[in-house]
Amino acid sequence: MLEIRTKRGKVLLQLLLILMTIPYIVPLIQMVAGSLGGRGFQNYKAVWDTGVVPVFFRNSAIISAGVILLVYIFNMTAGFGFSKMRFLGKEVYFWLILVALTLPEVILLTPLFVTFQHLKMYNTFLAVILPQTALQMPFTILLTRNFLNGVPDELMEAARIDGANTVQSFWSIVLPLTKPIASAVIVLTLINSWNAYLLPLLFLQSPDKQTVTLLPQFFQGEFTNDQTKILAAAVMTAIPEITAYLCMQKNFERGMSAGALK
Amino acid sequence: MQRGITLSGFRKNKGVVWILPAFLFLVVIIYYSMFFTFDLSTASWDGLSPVREAVGLKNYEKLFGDKVFWKCLQNTLVYLVVTFVVQNALGFIFAVILHSDVRLPTLFKCLIFIPTILAPATMAPVFRLLFSPQGLLQSIFNFLHLNITVDWLSRPDTALFVLMSVTIWEFTGMSFILYYAAMSQIDAEVLEAAQLDGAGNLRTLWHMVLPGCRGTTVSMGMLSVIGALKTFDIPYLITTGGPMHATEFLGTYIYRQGIRQSHLGYAAALSVILLVLAVAGAFLTNKANAKEG
Repeated sequence: MLEIRTKRGKVLLQLLLILMTIPYIVPLIQMVAGSLGGRGFQNYKAVWDTGVVPVFFRNSAIISAGVILLVYIFNMTAGFGFSKMRFLGKEVYFWLILVALTLPEVILLTPLFVTFQHLKMYNTFLAVILPQTALQMPFTILLTRNFLNGVPDELMEAARIDGANTVQSFWSIVLPLTKPIASAVIVLTLINSWNAYLLPLLFLQSPDKQTVTLLPQFFQGEFTNDQTKILAAAVMTAIPEITAYLCMQKNFERGMSAGALK
Repeated sequence: MQRGITLSGFRKNKGVVWILPAFLFLVVIIYYSMFFTFDLSTASWDGLSPVREAVGLKNYEKLFGDKVFWKCLQNTLVYLVVTFVVQNALGFIFAVILHSDVRLPTLFKCLIFIPTILAPATMAPVFRLLFSPQGLLQSIFNFLHLNITVDWLSRPDTALFVLMSVTIWEFTGMSFILYYAAMSQIDAEVLEAAQLDGAGNLRTLWHMVLPGCRGTTVSMGMLSVIGALKTFDIPYLITTGGPMHATEFLGTYIYRQGIRQSHLGYAAALSVILLVLAVAGAFLTNKANAKEG
Protein backbone atom coordinates (compact mmCIF):
# COMPACT_ATOMS: atom_id res chain seq x y z
CA MET A 1 0.00 0.00 0.00
CA LEU A 2 2.67 2.49 1.04
CA GLU A 3 5.41 2.80 -1.49
CA ILE A 4 8.77 3.05 0.17
CA ARG A 5 11.94 2.60 -1.83
CA THR A 6 14.74 3.66 0.47
CA LYS A 7 16.24 1.30 3.02
CA ARG A 8 15.96 4.00 5.66
CA GLY A 9 12.26 4.46 4.99
CA LYS A 10 11.66 0.73 5.38
CA VAL A 11 13.49 0.62 8.70
CA LEU A 12 11.54 3.64 9.94
CA LEU A 13 8.22 2.06 8.96
CA GLN A 14 9.11 -1.15 10.76
CA LEU A 15 10.14 0.87 13.80
CA LEU A 16 6.85 2.76 13.78
CA LEU A 17 4.98 -0.53 13.64
CA ILE A 18 6.92 -1.88 16.62
CA LEU A 19 6.37 1.31 18.65
CA MET A 20 2.64 1.27 17.90
CA THR A 21 2.35 -2.38 18.91
CA ILE A 22 4.09 -2.00 22.30
CA PRO A 23 1.01 -0.63 24.15
CA TYR A 24 -0.91 -3.72 23.03
CA ILE A 25 1.63 -6.00 24.69
CA VAL A 26 2.11 -4.11 27.97
CA PRO A 27 -1.06 -5.47 29.63
CA LEU A 28 -0.08 -9.00 28.61
CA ILE A 29 3.36 -8.53 30.17
CA GLN A 30 1.69 -7.16 33.30
CA MET A 31 -0.57 -10.21 33.41
CA VAL A 32 2.27 -12.72 33.22
CA ALA A 33 4.64 -10.74 35.48
CA GLY A 34 1.89 -10.22 38.06
CA SER A 35 0.96 -13.88 38.05
CA LEU A 36 4.55 -14.82 38.94
CA GLY A 37 4.74 -12.41 41.87
CA GLY A 38 5.15 -13.74 45.41
CA ARG A 39 5.46 -17.50 45.14
CA GLY A 40 6.18 -17.73 41.41
CA PHE A 41 4.86 -20.83 39.69
CA GLN A 42 3.37 -22.03 42.97
CA ASN A 43 0.55 -19.59 42.19
CA TYR A 44 -0.38 -21.64 39.15
CA LYS A 45 -0.25 -24.84 41.14
CA ALA A 46 -2.50 -23.37 43.84
CA VAL A 47 -5.03 -22.31 41.22
CA TRP A 48 -4.90 -25.66 39.44
CA ASP A 49 -5.22 -27.61 42.70
CA THR A 50 -8.62 -26.06 43.40
CA GLY A 51 -9.82 -28.25 40.52
CA VAL A 52 -12.35 -25.69 39.31
CA VAL A 53 -10.50 -24.44 36.21
CA PRO A 54 -11.40 -27.43 33.98
CA VAL A 55 -15.02 -27.29 35.18
CA PHE A 56 -15.37 -23.61 34.29
CA PHE A 57 -13.76 -24.30 30.93
CA ARG A 58 -16.10 -27.19 30.21
CA ASN A 59 -19.10 -24.99 31.03
CA SER A 60 -17.89 -22.21 28.73
CA ALA A 61 -17.33 -24.77 25.98
CA ILE A 62 -20.84 -26.21 26.34
CA ILE A 63 -22.44 -22.77 26.29
CA SER A 64 -20.39 -21.55 23.33
CA ALA A 65 -21.11 -24.72 21.36
CA GLY A 66 -24.83 -24.34 22.02
CA VAL A 67 -24.85 -20.69 20.98
CA ILE A 68 -22.81 -21.36 17.84
CA LEU A 69 -25.10 -24.21 16.78
CA LEU A 70 -28.29 -22.18 17.24
CA VAL A 71 -26.83 -19.03 15.67
CA TYR A 72 -25.57 -21.03 12.70
CA ILE A 73 -28.94 -22.65 11.97
CA PHE A 74 -31.06 -19.51 12.44
CA ASN A 75 -28.52 -17.37 10.67
CA MET A 76 -28.10 -19.45 7.54
CA THR A 77 -31.81 -19.95 6.94
CA ALA A 78 -32.67 -16.32 7.68
CA GLY A 79 -29.71 -14.92 5.71
CA PHE A 80 -30.84 -17.02 2.75
CA GLY A 81 -34.47 -15.98 3.15
CA PHE A 82 -33.65 -12.29 3.32
CA SER A 83 -31.25 -12.41 0.40
CA LYS A 84 -32.89 -14.81 -2.05
CA MET A 85 -36.59 -15.14 -1.25
CA ARG A 86 -39.47 -12.82 -2.01
CA PHE A 87 -42.27 -12.38 0.51
CA LEU A 88 -44.61 -9.79 1.87
CA GLY A 89 -43.20 -7.42 4.48
CA LYS A 90 -39.59 -8.49 4.04
CA GLU A 91 -38.28 -5.02 4.85
CA VAL A 92 -40.38 -4.89 8.01
CA TYR A 93 -39.08 -8.22 9.26
CA PHE A 94 -35.54 -7.15 8.49
CA TRP A 95 -35.89 -3.90 10.39
CA LEU A 96 -37.40 -5.69 13.36
CA ILE A 97 -34.34 -7.93 13.43
CA LEU A 98 -31.98 -4.95 13.14
CA VAL A 99 -33.69 -3.21 16.06
CA ALA A 100 -32.74 -6.25 18.11
CA LEU A 101 -29.11 -5.55 17.16
CA THR A 102 -29.21 -2.38 19.21
CA LEU A 103 -30.51 -4.09 22.33
CA PRO A 104 -28.19 -3.81 25.35
CA GLU A 105 -28.13 -7.05 27.30
CA VAL A 106 -28.68 -5.29 30.62
CA ILE A 107 -32.28 -4.68 29.49
CA LEU A 108 -32.88 -8.43 29.31
CA LEU A 109 -31.87 -9.08 32.90
CA THR A 110 -35.06 -8.39 34.82
CA PRO A 111 -37.57 -9.85 32.32
CA LEU A 112 -35.54 -13.01 31.79
CA PHE A 113 -34.75 -13.40 35.48
CA VAL A 114 -38.42 -13.37 36.37
CA THR A 115 -39.36 -15.63 33.45
CA PHE A 116 -36.58 -18.18 33.94
CA GLN A 117 -37.47 -18.54 37.60
CA HIS A 118 -41.07 -19.27 36.61
CA LEU A 119 -39.95 -21.85 34.05
CA LYS A 120 -37.42 -23.44 36.43
CA MET A 121 -34.67 -22.58 33.92
CA TYR A 122 -32.70 -20.44 36.32
CA ASN A 123 -29.16 -21.77 36.90
CA THR A 124 -29.22 -23.92 33.74
CA PHE A 125 -27.02 -23.51 30.64
CA LEU A 126 -30.09 -22.76 28.55
CA ALA A 127 -30.69 -19.60 30.58
CA VAL A 128 -27.46 -18.25 29.07
CA ILE A 129 -27.52 -19.97 25.67
CA LEU A 130 -30.95 -18.70 24.58
CA PRO A 131 -30.45 -14.97 25.29
CA GLN A 132 -26.87 -15.11 23.97
CA THR A 133 -28.16 -16.56 20.71
CA ALA A 134 -30.79 -13.85 20.44
CA LEU A 135 -28.21 -11.12 21.07
CA GLN A 136 -25.71 -12.40 18.51
CA MET A 137 -28.06 -13.40 15.72
CA PRO A 138 -29.04 -9.96 14.37
CA PHE A 139 -25.46 -9.02 13.51
CA THR A 140 -24.60 -12.35 11.91
CA ILE A 141 -27.81 -12.29 9.85
CA LEU A 142 -26.78 -8.86 8.56
CA LEU A 143 -23.33 -10.20 7.58
CA THR A 144 -24.71 -13.33 5.95
CA ARG A 145 -27.37 -11.46 4.00
CA ASN A 146 -24.74 -9.05 2.68
CA PHE A 147 -22.55 -11.97 1.69
CA LEU A 148 -25.38 -13.82 -0.08
CA ASN A 149 -26.41 -10.66 -1.90
CA GLY A 150 -23.09 -11.01 -3.69
CA VAL A 151 -23.95 -14.53 -4.86
CA PRO A 152 -25.64 -14.35 -8.28
CA ASP A 153 -29.31 -15.38 -8.39
CA GLU A 154 -28.63 -17.20 -11.67
CA LEU A 155 -27.08 -20.07 -9.72
CA MET A 156 -30.43 -20.73 -8.08
CA GLU A 157 -32.30 -20.27 -11.37
CA ALA A 158 -30.09 -22.87 -12.99
CA ALA A 159 -30.71 -25.30 -10.17
CA ARG A 160 -34.45 -24.77 -10.46
CA ILE A 161 -34.39 -25.48 -14.17
CA ASP A 162 -32.55 -28.69 -13.33
CA GLY A 163 -35.55 -29.57 -11.14
CA ALA A 164 -34.18 -28.76 -7.70
CA ASN A 165 -36.59 -27.26 -5.18
CA THR A 166 -35.64 -24.42 -2.85
CA VAL A 167 -34.54 -26.69 -0.02
CA GLN A 168 -32.32 -28.71 -2.34
CA SER A 169 -30.65 -25.68 -3.85
CA PHE A 170 -30.15 -24.16 -0.40
CA TRP A 171 -28.54 -27.36 0.80
CA SER A 172 -26.37 -28.23 -2.18
CA ILE A 173 -25.60 -24.83 -3.73
CA VAL A 174 -25.90 -22.06 -1.17
CA LEU A 175 -24.53 -23.78 1.94
CA PRO A 176 -21.24 -24.87 0.34
CA LEU A 177 -20.76 -21.33 -1.00
CA THR A 178 -21.15 -19.77 2.44
CA LYS A 179 -18.07 -21.39 3.97
CA PRO A 180 -16.03 -18.16 4.19
CA ILE A 181 -18.78 -16.14 5.84
CA ALA A 182 -19.69 -19.12 8.03
CA SER A 183 -16.19 -19.23 9.50
CA ALA A 184 -16.30 -15.50 10.25
CA VAL A 185 -19.71 -15.93 11.87
CA ILE A 186 -18.49 -18.86 13.95
CA VAL A 187 -15.36 -17.08 15.17
CA LEU A 188 -17.29 -13.91 16.06
CA THR A 189 -19.96 -15.91 17.87
CA LEU A 190 -17.32 -17.92 19.68
CA ILE A 191 -15.48 -14.79 20.88
CA ASN A 192 -18.69 -13.13 22.06
CA SER A 193 -20.22 -16.12 23.79
CA TRP A 194 -16.93 -17.21 25.37
CA ASN A 195 -16.35 -13.69 26.69
CA ALA A 196 -19.91 -13.07 27.89
CA TYR A 197 -19.92 -11.94 31.48
CA LEU A 198 -23.22 -10.40 32.52
CA LEU A 199 -25.62 -13.22 31.67
CA PRO A 200 -23.54 -15.98 33.31
CA LEU A 201 -22.98 -13.70 36.32
CA LEU A 202 -26.67 -13.40 36.88
CA PHE A 203 -28.16 -16.64 35.63
CA LEU A 204 -25.59 -19.20 36.77
CA GLN A 205 -25.33 -19.35 40.53
CA SER A 206 -23.67 -22.64 41.44
CA PRO A 207 -19.88 -22.94 40.82
CA ASP A 208 -20.33 -26.19 38.89
CA LYS A 209 -22.30 -24.24 36.25
CA GLN A 210 -20.19 -21.08 36.00
CA THR A 211 -18.01 -19.98 33.09
CA VAL A 212 -14.40 -18.86 32.67
CA THR A 213 -15.32 -15.18 32.73
CA LEU A 214 -16.43 -15.66 36.34
CA LEU A 215 -13.11 -17.24 37.38
CA PRO A 216 -11.49 -14.00 38.66
CA GLN A 217 -14.50 -13.41 40.88
CA PHE A 218 -14.48 -16.99 42.12
CA PHE A 219 -10.83 -16.74 43.07
CA GLN A 220 -11.33 -13.39 44.71
CA GLY A 221 -13.55 -15.24 47.15
CA GLU A 222 -11.27 -18.26 47.32
CA PHE A 223 -7.92 -16.51 47.83
CA THR A 224 -9.21 -13.38 49.61
CA ASN A 225 -7.76 -10.94 47.10
CA ASP A 226 -4.37 -12.57 46.52
CA GLN A 227 -3.82 -10.75 43.20
CA THR A 228 -1.02 -13.07 42.05
CA LYS A 229 -3.31 -16.10 41.99
CA ILE A 230 -6.12 -14.20 40.33
CA LEU A 231 -3.68 -13.22 37.60
CA ALA A 232 -2.42 -16.78 37.35
CA ALA A 233 -6.03 -17.80 36.73
CA ALA A 234 -6.28 -15.06 34.09
CA VAL A 235 -3.21 -16.41 32.28
CA MET A 236 -4.62 -19.93 32.41
CA THR A 237 -7.84 -18.62 30.85
CA ALA A 238 -6.06 -16.61 28.20
CA ILE A 239 -3.67 -19.26 26.90
CA PRO A 240 -6.26 -21.64 25.40
CA GLU A 241 -8.11 -18.69 23.88
CA ILE A 242 -4.98 -17.34 22.24
CA THR A 243 -4.03 -20.82 21.00
CA ALA A 244 -7.49 -21.35 19.51
CA TYR A 245 -7.32 -17.98 17.78
CA LEU A 246 -3.87 -18.66 16.34
CA CYS A 247 -5.18 -21.91 14.88
CA MET A 248 -8.16 -20.20 13.25
CA GLN A 249 -6.40 -16.96 12.32
CA LYS A 250 -6.04 -17.67 8.58
CA ASN A 251 -9.65 -18.81 8.14
CA PHE A 252 -11.00 -15.92 10.12
CA GLU A 253 -9.10 -13.34 8.11
CA ARG A 254 -10.30 -14.89 4.88
CA GLY A 255 -13.88 -14.87 6.16
CA MET A 256 -13.73 -11.22 7.12
CA SER A 257 -12.36 -10.28 3.70
CA ALA A 258 -14.98 -12.41 1.99
CA GLY A 259 -17.52 -9.65 2.05
CA ALA A 260 -18.28 -8.82 5.63
CA LEU A 261 -19.16 -5.14 6.09
CA LYS A 262 -18.29 -3.85 2.69
CA MET B 1 -61.97 -19.00 -6.33
CA GLN B 2 -61.41 -17.78 -2.80
CA ARG B 3 -59.22 -20.75 -2.12
CA GLY B 4 -57.19 -20.16 -5.24
CA ILE B 5 -56.32 -16.65 -4.21
CA THR B 6 -55.11 -17.61 -0.75
CA LEU B 7 -53.14 -20.50 -2.18
CA SER B 8 -51.32 -18.37 -4.69
CA GLY B 9 -50.85 -15.76 -1.97
CA PHE B 10 -49.23 -18.41 0.15
CA ARG B 11 -47.06 -19.59 -2.72
CA LYS B 12 -45.82 -16.11 -3.34
CA ASN B 13 -45.06 -15.63 0.32
CA LYS B 14 -43.78 -19.00 1.35
CA GLY B 15 -40.23 -17.63 1.36
CA VAL B 16 -41.16 -16.26 4.75
CA VAL B 17 -40.72 -19.71 6.31
CA TRP B 18 -36.94 -19.30 5.89
CA ILE B 19 -36.80 -16.34 8.21
CA LEU B 20 -39.57 -17.37 10.60
CA PRO B 21 -37.46 -19.56 12.94
CA ALA B 22 -34.98 -16.74 13.57
CA PHE B 23 -37.71 -14.14 13.74
CA LEU B 24 -39.93 -16.02 16.18
CA PHE B 25 -36.93 -16.78 18.37
CA LEU B 26 -36.14 -13.06 18.56
CA VAL B 27 -39.75 -12.20 19.28
CA VAL B 28 -39.90 -14.68 22.16
CA ILE B 29 -36.68 -13.47 23.80
CA ILE B 30 -36.07 -9.88 22.73
CA TYR B 31 -39.49 -8.44 22.00
CA TYR B 32 -40.99 -10.17 24.99
CA SER B 33 -38.31 -8.56 27.18
CA MET B 34 -38.85 -5.17 25.61
CA PHE B 35 -42.58 -5.38 26.23
CA PHE B 36 -41.96 -6.54 29.80
CA THR B 37 -39.62 -3.58 30.34
CA PHE B 38 -42.08 -1.03 28.92
CA ASP B 39 -44.73 -2.44 31.21
CA LEU B 40 -42.46 -2.43 34.26
CA SER B 41 -41.29 1.12 33.64
CA THR B 42 -44.68 2.45 34.74
CA ALA B 43 -44.61 0.57 38.02
CA SER B 44 -42.82 0.56 41.32
CA TRP B 45 -41.61 -2.93 42.20
CA ASP B 46 -38.81 -4.46 44.25
CA GLY B 47 -38.98 -7.86 42.55
CA LEU B 48 -40.18 -9.65 45.68
CA SER B 49 -43.53 -8.27 46.72
CA PRO B 50 -46.45 -9.95 44.95
CA VAL B 51 -48.02 -6.67 43.81
CA ARG B 52 -46.59 -3.98 41.62
CA GLU B 53 -47.76 -0.50 42.33
CA ALA B 54 -48.72 1.39 39.18
CA VAL B 55 -47.09 4.82 39.21
CA GLY B 56 -47.75 6.01 35.64
CA LEU B 57 -44.92 8.12 34.28
CA LYS B 58 -43.39 8.94 37.66
CA ASN B 59 -40.23 6.94 36.93
CA TYR B 60 -39.65 9.00 33.81
CA GLU B 61 -40.20 12.25 35.67
CA LYS B 62 -37.68 11.19 38.30
CA LEU B 63 -35.18 10.40 35.58
CA PHE B 64 -35.01 13.92 34.19
CA GLY B 65 -34.08 15.32 37.58
CA ASP B 66 -31.49 12.60 38.23
CA LYS B 67 -27.98 14.05 38.02
CA VAL B 68 -26.38 10.62 37.68
CA PHE B 69 -28.51 9.91 34.61
CA TRP B 70 -27.18 13.03 32.89
CA LYS B 71 -23.66 12.13 33.99
CA CYS B 72 -24.15 8.73 32.31
CA LEU B 73 -25.18 10.41 29.06
CA GLN B 74 -22.23 12.79 29.20
CA ASN B 75 -19.80 9.92 29.85
CA THR B 76 -21.31 7.91 26.99
CA LEU B 77 -20.90 10.79 24.56
CA VAL B 78 -17.27 11.51 25.50
CA TYR B 79 -16.51 7.81 25.41
CA LEU B 80 -18.18 7.36 22.02
CA VAL B 81 -16.32 10.21 20.31
CA VAL B 82 -12.88 9.44 21.75
CA THR B 83 -12.94 5.67 21.33
CA PHE B 84 -14.42 5.86 17.82
CA VAL B 85 -11.83 8.32 16.54
CA VAL B 86 -8.74 6.84 18.20
CA GLN B 87 -9.61 3.20 17.66
CA ASN B 88 -10.40 3.64 13.98
CA ALA B 89 -7.43 5.89 13.29
CA LEU B 90 -5.16 3.28 14.86
CA GLY B 91 -6.91 0.42 13.08
CA PHE B 92 -6.59 2.23 9.77
CA ILE B 93 -2.88 3.03 10.26
CA PHE B 94 -2.10 -0.53 11.31
CA ALA B 95 -3.93 -1.84 8.24
CA VAL B 96 -2.00 0.50 5.93
CA ILE B 97 1.36 -0.45 7.44
CA LEU B 98 0.60 -4.16 7.36
CA HIS B 99 -0.44 -3.93 3.71
CA SER B 100 2.97 -2.44 2.98
CA ASP B 101 6.33 -4.12 2.85
CA VAL B 102 7.17 -4.92 6.50
CA ARG B 103 8.74 -7.89 8.24
CA LEU B 104 6.74 -10.46 10.25
CA PRO B 105 3.27 -9.19 9.30
CA THR B 106 1.45 -12.20 10.76
CA LEU B 107 3.12 -11.74 14.16
CA PHE B 108 1.97 -8.12 14.35
CA LYS B 109 -1.52 -8.96 13.12
CA CYS B 110 -1.88 -11.53 15.88
CA LEU B 111 -0.49 -9.19 18.57
CA ILE B 112 -3.00 -6.51 17.62
CA PHE B 113 -5.94 -8.91 17.47
CA ILE B 114 -5.23 -10.89 20.65
CA PRO B 115 -6.73 -8.18 22.96
CA THR B 116 -10.02 -8.51 21.06
CA ILE B 117 -10.36 -12.19 21.86
CA LEU B 118 -9.53 -11.84 25.57
CA ALA B 119 -12.59 -11.26 27.74
CA PRO B 120 -12.81 -7.92 29.56
CA ALA B 121 -13.69 -10.05 32.58
CA THR B 122 -10.38 -11.89 32.32
CA MET B 123 -8.36 -8.72 31.78
CA ALA B 124 -10.07 -6.54 34.40
CA PRO B 125 -7.83 -7.65 37.31
CA VAL B 126 -4.81 -7.04 35.07
CA PHE B 127 -5.87 -3.48 34.29
CA ARG B 128 -6.72 -2.74 37.90
CA LEU B 129 -3.12 -3.70 38.75
CA LEU B 130 -1.54 -2.02 35.73
CA PHE B 131 -3.13 1.33 36.56
CA SER B 132 -2.41 1.15 40.29
CA PRO B 133 0.70 2.36 42.15
CA GLN B 134 1.80 -1.30 42.43
CA GLY B 135 1.65 -1.82 38.67
CA LEU B 136 4.05 -2.02 35.79
CA LEU B 137 3.46 1.56 34.61
CA GLN B 138 4.51 2.89 38.01
CA SER B 139 7.68 0.77 37.89
CA ILE B 140 8.49 2.16 34.44
CA PHE B 141 7.93 5.75 35.63
CA ASN B 142 10.06 5.12 38.72
CA PHE B 143 12.78 3.58 36.60
CA LEU B 144 12.81 6.66 34.37
CA HIS B 145 12.83 8.88 37.48
CA LEU B 146 9.57 10.48 36.40
CA ASN B 147 7.65 11.96 39.26
CA ILE B 148 4.25 10.55 38.28
CA THR B 149 1.95 8.65 40.60
CA VAL B 150 -0.30 6.15 38.87
CA ASP B 151 -3.50 6.59 40.86
CA TRP B 152 -5.60 7.37 37.84
CA LEU B 153 -8.38 4.89 38.56
CA SER B 154 -9.16 6.45 41.92
CA ARG B 155 -9.41 9.99 40.59
CA PRO B 156 -12.71 11.17 39.09
CA ASP B 157 -10.97 13.31 36.46
CA THR B 158 -8.81 10.53 35.04
CA ALA B 159 -10.72 7.28 35.55
CA LEU B 160 -12.80 7.70 32.40
CA PHE B 161 -9.66 8.12 30.30
CA VAL B 162 -8.23 4.90 31.69
CA LEU B 163 -11.42 3.07 30.72
CA MET B 164 -11.33 4.57 27.24
CA SER B 165 -7.76 3.42 26.76
CA VAL B 166 -8.77 -0.08 27.87
CA THR B 167 -11.60 -0.04 25.33
CA ILE B 168 -9.27 1.15 22.58
CA TRP B 169 -6.78 -1.56 23.55
CA GLU B 170 -9.55 -4.13 23.36
CA PHE B 171 -11.17 -3.16 20.04
CA THR B 172 -8.44 -1.78 17.80
CA GLY B 173 -8.02 -5.36 16.60
CA MET B 174 -11.59 -5.37 15.29
CA SER B 175 -11.32 -2.11 13.36
CA PHE B 176 -7.89 -3.17 12.13
CA ILE B 177 -9.15 -6.46 10.70
CA LEU B 178 -12.13 -4.78 9.00
CA TYR B 179 -9.98 -2.05 7.45
CA TYR B 180 -7.44 -4.66 6.46
CA ALA B 181 -10.16 -6.66 4.71
CA ALA B 182 -11.55 -3.55 2.99
CA MET B 183 -8.09 -2.53 1.75
CA SER B 184 -7.54 -5.96 0.19
CA GLN B 185 -10.38 -5.10 -2.17
CA ILE B 186 -8.90 -1.83 -3.37
CA ASP B 187 -7.36 -2.31 -6.76
CA ALA B 188 -3.57 -2.31 -6.30
CA GLU B 189 -3.01 -1.26 -9.92
CA VAL B 190 -5.00 1.92 -9.48
CA LEU B 191 -2.88 2.85 -6.49
CA GLU B 192 0.32 2.07 -8.37
CA ALA B 193 -0.81 4.18 -11.28
CA ALA B 194 -1.49 7.09 -8.93
CA GLN B 195 1.91 6.68 -7.37
CA LEU B 196 3.56 6.56 -10.79
CA ASP B 197 1.81 9.81 -11.61
CA GLY B 198 3.66 11.31 -8.69
CA ALA B 199 1.00 11.26 -6.00
CA GLY B 200 2.79 10.90 -2.65
CA ASN B 201 1.94 8.24 -0.09
CA LEU B 202 -0.10 10.55 2.11
CA ARG B 203 -2.10 11.87 -0.83
CA THR B 204 -2.91 8.39 -2.06
CA LEU B 205 -4.00 7.38 1.44
CA TRP B 206 -6.18 10.44 1.94
CA HIS B 207 -7.75 10.63 -1.51
CA MET B 208 -7.99 6.98 -2.51
CA VAL B 209 -7.57 4.51 0.34
CA LEU B 210 -9.64 6.30 2.98
CA PRO B 211 -12.62 6.89 0.64
CA GLY B 212 -12.26 3.28 -0.51
CA CYS B 213 -12.80 2.15 3.08
CA ARG B 214 -15.80 4.40 3.60
CA GLY B 215 -18.20 1.50 4.06
CA THR B 216 -16.06 0.13 6.88
CA THR B 217 -15.84 3.53 8.58
CA VAL B 218 -19.62 3.93 8.45
CA SER B 219 -20.23 0.41 9.78
CA MET B 220 -17.74 1.02 12.57
CA GLY B 221 -19.56 4.27 13.32
CA MET B 222 -22.85 2.48 13.74
CA LEU B 223 -21.29 -0.27 15.84
CA SER B 224 -19.53 2.35 17.99
CA VAL B 225 -22.77 4.20 18.69
CA ILE B 226 -24.50 0.98 19.71
CA GLY B 227 -21.38 -0.24 21.53
CA ALA B 228 -20.96 2.98 23.53
CA LEU B 229 -24.58 2.84 24.67
CA LYS B 230 -24.23 -0.84 25.57
CA THR B 231 -20.98 -0.34 27.51
CA PHE B 232 -21.07 -2.44 30.65
CA ASP B 233 -18.29 -4.97 31.23
CA ILE B 234 -15.30 -2.64 31.26
CA PRO B 235 -16.61 0.06 33.63
CA TYR B 236 -18.44 -2.44 35.83
CA LEU B 237 -15.42 -4.72 36.24
CA ILE B 238 -12.69 -2.10 36.56
CA THR B 239 -14.28 0.79 38.46
CA THR B 240 -17.91 -0.31 39.11
CA GLY B 241 -18.90 3.10 37.80
CA GLY B 242 -16.89 5.05 40.36
CA PRO B 243 -15.27 7.06 41.77
CA MET B 244 -18.33 9.22 42.45
CA HIS B 245 -20.12 8.09 39.25
CA ALA B 246 -17.22 9.44 37.17
CA THR B 247 -17.32 6.29 35.02
CA GLU B 248 -21.03 5.56 35.30
CA PHE B 249 -22.72 4.47 32.06
CA LEU B 250 -26.37 3.73 31.44
CA GLY B 251 -25.61 0.00 31.56
CA THR B 252 -23.87 0.11 34.93
CA TYR B 253 -26.46 2.52 36.32
CA ILE B 254 -29.34 0.27 35.27
CA TYR B 255 -27.56 -2.63 36.93
CA ARG B 256 -26.97 -0.59 40.09
CA GLN B 257 -30.59 0.60 40.28
CA GLY B 258 -32.24 -2.63 39.19
CA ILE B 259 -30.19 -5.57 40.40
CA ARG B 260 -28.32 -4.03 43.35
CA GLN B 261 -30.94 -1.73 44.81
CA SER B 262 -34.09 -3.45 43.53
CA HIS B 263 -35.60 -0.28 42.07
CA LEU B 264 -36.88 -2.35 39.18
CA GLY B 265 -39.40 0.18 37.89
CA TYR B 266 -36.84 2.95 37.75
CA ALA B 267 -34.26 0.64 36.13
CA ALA B 268 -36.88 -0.27 33.52
CA ALA B 269 -37.52 3.40 32.72
CA LEU B 270 -33.76 3.91 32.28
CA SER B 271 -33.72 0.82 30.04
CA VAL B 272 -36.48 2.24 27.85
CA ILE B 273 -34.52 5.48 27.40
CA LEU B 274 -31.39 3.49 26.61
CA LEU B 275 -33.24 1.44 24.03
CA VAL B 276 -34.76 4.53 22.39
CA LEU B 277 -31.32 6.15 22.19
CA ALA B 278 -29.75 3.02 20.69
CA VAL B 279 -32.43 2.62 18.03
CA ALA B 280 -32.35 6.34 17.21
CA GLY B 281 -28.54 6.29 17.05
CA ALA B 282 -28.47 3.32 14.71
CA PHE B 283 -31.23 4.81 12.57
CA LEU B 284 -29.49 8.19 12.25
CA THR B 285 -26.07 6.72 11.37
CA ASN B 286 -27.77 4.57 8.78
CA LYS B 287 -29.68 7.51 7.36
CA ALA B 288 -26.63 9.77 7.24
CA ASN B 289 -24.90 7.02 5.33
CA ALA B 290 -27.72 6.61 2.82
CA LYS B 291 -27.81 10.35 2.16
CA GLU B 292 -24.09 10.67 1.45
CA GLY B 293 -23.64 7.38 -0.33
